[in-house]
Amino acid sequence: MLEFTYSNELSPQVISTLIIVFFLALVFIIAGIKVKKLDPNQTPKGFLLVSIMAVEMFNKLIRSYMKEKQFRFFAPYLFTIITFLAFANTISLFGLTPPLSNIGVAFSFSVMTFLVLKIAEMRFIGIKGKIDGLLGPVKPIAPLMLPINLIGEVSTPFSMGLRLFVNLMAGSVMAAMVYAVLHWTAGIIAGVMLHVIFDIFFGLIQAFVFFMLSVVSISMASDA
Amino acid sequence: MFEMILDSVVRFATEYNEHFSSGLAYLGAGVAVIAGLGPGIGQGFAAGKAAEAVGRQPEAQGKILVTTLVTQAVAETTGLYSLLVALILIGK
Repeated sequence: MLEFTYSNELSPQVISTLIIVFFLALVFIIAGIKVKKLDPNQTPKGFLLVSIMAVEMFNKLIRSYMKEKQFRFFAPYLFTIITFLAFANTISLFGLTPPLSNIGVAFSFSVMTFLVLKIAEMRFIGIKGKIDGLLGPVKPIAPLMLPINLIGEVSTPFSMGLRLFVNLMAGSVMAAMVYAVLHWTAGIIAGVMLHVIFDIFFGLIQAFVFFMLSVVSISMASDA
Repeated sequence: MFEMILDSVVRFATEYNEHFSSGLAYLGAGVAVIAGLGPGIGQGFAAGKAAEAVGRQPEAQGKILVTTLVTQAVAETTGLYSLLVALILIGK
């Protein structure tokens, strides 16, 4: 039976996801408008300088792993991913639930990575080259290699999403355990260190790791 | 008389089984976290090699740091899976 339960309340993780998406959309739109108005003869300053420097830094980083054609196609996606993850993993500093502590949000990242890898393969090596790659270089043992390669297609995105989820969950479980043991006065002091380590340090590292693994697997998928 | 004994035995057995299964789940959670040994050794190895590399080539420190962090995060994955299994077992 069909049930329309759109009026149900959203989970807190989805709410914080929507907040981040709205905030980032606003920031990007403002940056875009400001860049359009920019006078090429003047040096940019303030907010615009920071955003231009960030884009330049990641462009340089992605360029060192990809060819120019793939870079032009995938760089916007990769920059969006890392900005979203960097905000999403540190959002618990503002009292919101980190979005990736919900396995649904984490697996949507898996699905996204899977689709992007398929798009890269379709666009840059084509269906024929992909089938050739799945069968392996040695044709007589192709029936043996095909299942292994097919599992490899799924397991890369799956493990990428799960890695994000478990890292964030481990941090929040650890924080909850420490808060349950300590009195609240000691909890304030311990909370400072806990959130610095688990939210800022591990969160940003995981965002960067997801970004780097996306870069490497996209360039591998479109090269092979 | 006999039925009464049988009844109490059955009740005891169900209670025992319940505690037995939850106890084994906790034991399994503890055993699963032993998998943390592997990532610990692997990350330590990676960090040692990175320190060696910085010692040999101090000007490439930035690139070495980035590579080390990424590879360590990849090596960490198996440990995180074991943690996930343990948490699922505790929540049972």
